Amino acid sequence: MKKIDLHIHTIPTISDANFTFSLAKFCEYVNSAELDAIAITNHDMFDLGQFNEIAEELDCVVFPGIEINLDKGHLLVISENENLNEFQLKTQAVSQKITSIGDSITVDELVHIFGDLNNYLLIPHYEKRPAITGGTLDQIRGFISAGEVDSPKKFIRMAKDQAEITPVIFSDVRIRDDMSKFPTRHTYIDCGDLSLNSLKFSLRDRNKVALSESEGNSLFQVFDDGQKLSTGLNIVLGARSSGKTVTLTQINKDCENVKYIPQFSLVQRDDANYEKEFNADVARKKSTFADKHLGPFKTVLDDILNVDLETNRRKVEDYLLTLLKSAEEAEKRDAFSKVALFNETQFEVGVDKALSDLIGSVRQLIENIEYREVIDRHVDINNLKVLACELIELLWSKAYERKKRSLVNDVVREVKSKLQLRTSATQVKDVDLYKVMMEHKKTSKFIQITKLLQSEKVIFEENIQGFKVVCKQRAFEGAGEIRNISGQKVAFSDAYREYASPYRYLVALKENEALTPSEFYKYFACIEYEILNKDGFKVSGGERSEFRLLQEIKDAQNFDYLLIDEPESSFDNLFLKGEVNQMLKELSKTMPVVIVTHNSTVGASINADYIMYTSKEIEGGDIVYRRYSGHPSDKELCSIDGKKINNFEVTMNSLEAGEDAYVDRRGGYESIKN
Amino acid sequence: MKALKIENHQGYFLTEEGTYETVDKIDKAILLRLVNLALGDGFEIDEYDEGELKNQAHQIIYKSISEKLNDLHQKRNQFYDESERLYLDEYEKYKLNVSGLS
Repeated sequence: MKKIDLHIHTIPTISDANFTFSLAKFCEYVNSAELDAIAITNHDMFDLGQFNEIAEELDCVVFPGIEINLDKGHLLVISENENLNEFQLKTQAVSQKITSIGDSITVDELVHIFGDLNNYLLIPHYEKRPAITGGTLDQIRGFISAGEVDSPKKFIRMAKDQAEITPVIFSDVRIRDDMSKFPTRHTYIDCGDLSLNSLKFSLRDRNKVALSESEGNSLFQVFDDGQKLSTGLNIVLGARSSGKTVTLTQINKDCENVKYIPQFSLVQRDDANYEKEFNADVARKKSTFADKHLGPFKTVLDDILNVDLETNRRKVEDYLLTLLKSAEEAEKRDAFSKVALFNETQFEVGVDKALSDLIGSVRQLIENIEYREVIDRHVDINNLKVLACELIELLWSKAYERKKRSLVNDVVREVKSKLQLRTSATQVKDVDLYKVMMEHKKTSKFIQITKLLQSEKVIFEENIQGFKVVCKQRAFEGAGEIRNISGQKVAFSDAYREYASPYRYLVALKENEALTPSEFYKYFACIEYEILNKDGFKVSGGERSEFRLLQEIKDAQNFDYLLIDEPESSFDNLFLKGEVNQMLKELSKTMPVVIVTHNSTVGASINADYIMYTSKEIEGGDIVYRRYSGHPSDKELCSIDGKKINNFEVTMNSLEAGEDAYVDRRGGYESIKN
Repeated sequence: MKALKIENHQGYFLTEEGTYETVDKIDKAILLRLVNLALGDGFEIDEYDEGELKNQAHQIIYKSISEKLNDLHQKRNQFYDESERLYLDEYEKYKLNVSGLS
């Protein structure tokens, strides 16, 4: 197996933070990491002079390369170590196009500059930001040999997935003169000679790449001293002050996207405070949930807020009264009340929402990318464009008509009021019966919806490892509850008297000027969010901590590593053996999990994939910290500097307080049992 | 033909048939037709003249309508443009796209 790192920066560009390159550091890095091949890949540039200097100095294969801003992602283009002048000319064309932050080139430009892409090794940022995705990826798919990832977790996920391209993981390091640690992200590749073609050939087969030299993808290097960890479940054992927590802290610092649960972080320190914190957490989740659940109701309510049934009723009444009166006075009409405009009504000038919605929908059909293929299979896009244009033309003519009608309405209104001033005859008051009836209907729908919202029912239920999160909706039981929800010092008792009749309740809320209408939607139904234990009761203090731990572990799915420091210091054994072990085991199938423990329930029952034993040793008066590691079944654990230690002994000492104590204890249990 | 005229101390409007009726008969549908005339070219009316119009009801109607229509006639291009600005970008994009094909 050859160890390669094909993503290395040696020159600061506009895409990097500034740094000073050191060739000496570079040699140190390549030697200590025992790299067989590297590539120099600076952002959008290639410096032939510097490349020659580096290649001469380093004792490994060095490939020339460049990391290019391609559309919204990054692409490594690596060349064979020949025709370097030509490669430099090509990369200069890239440099000329990318001169400020945010600049990039397209695939067409890439092909134009480099010609046949088959002559190069192309590796896009794949499971790594900024990734090359979508159409850009499709365009270069035929030329790429592998996809770069940024964590062992993503590497393994891709390595297992037959539908994926071959993963590679590289350091992406800046070789700076003040480097104190070297990166550990490298790829092992099974290939003959280290030529570009041979690399490309091997990368075609996902089984030819690995995270470790001899253990495939089950181990990966975590520290620059060569220390490895399992990509599954790791247990860190050791006496007090031997460097266990230091190890976790270092992993947390050296690796990216780590979920770290420090010791005691979930312990219940101060009951009252803790409960408050826990409840605040629940309240936040509740409020998010309630807003989501009440969203559609809010839309209805916002519409109903503009409805005033009382005004509508008065308008209809006025209309009828004036109509009757005007009929009675028919005989007594004068010159002013006789003209046609005296009792003229208004044109309806409402906006045609249906038409603009329709235009919006057609636009979506034209512009949608995600479902383009399906749409194109059924409808011709040119027809859609013609349709959109025709609908827009229709919208214009309607808008034009509407403007004219508005203008007529203005004139009618003005003439009517002037005529009215000159006559004692009764003018028939105008009323928009369509609007009145529509609002009446809206109100009864609103009442129906509100009643549905107030009926008691469970709207959401989720089981999380023995706990149950339950969301319920129900009617408020009193004005006090609504006041709590509002978070204001306003009395709701007056409004609450009308609570049984949603519209009258809304009117009462509107009358209270201390309240904000945009918040009204919260005052119609109560949304409860509760966490119950497996017996269906509210959780206790200890159970709250357990729930938090499980939530934290669940949250770890979104990270690339999980580190937990002594979970036993906060939880009882049954809980750990049950839910926690099960979840950790499950999680470790997809990502590296590292647990520091003294506890046999965690340490021994969980069946770890890898053990690390930290030890503080005194050598010639100096204190030396060592890490021994190996598989649980190994007789001996080994340190990086070649020292060995008996696995059985250290495991017994760490987890069971020594073999004698273990045998003693077992004897004790046997006698109780008997 | 004039859309509005004053004759024999009375105000008249042009009917669809090209005849004239007194302004007290104007309703909103007729008014809309007059608006359409004002938005076209060649729109013409007699200026409002209080001394000429004896009928007070006619005075009120003629003054209000003639002012509004005159004003509209002046601004008819702007009036038209404003209603055509909706979705104009999309319209031009699609229109161009389609015609580019043919």
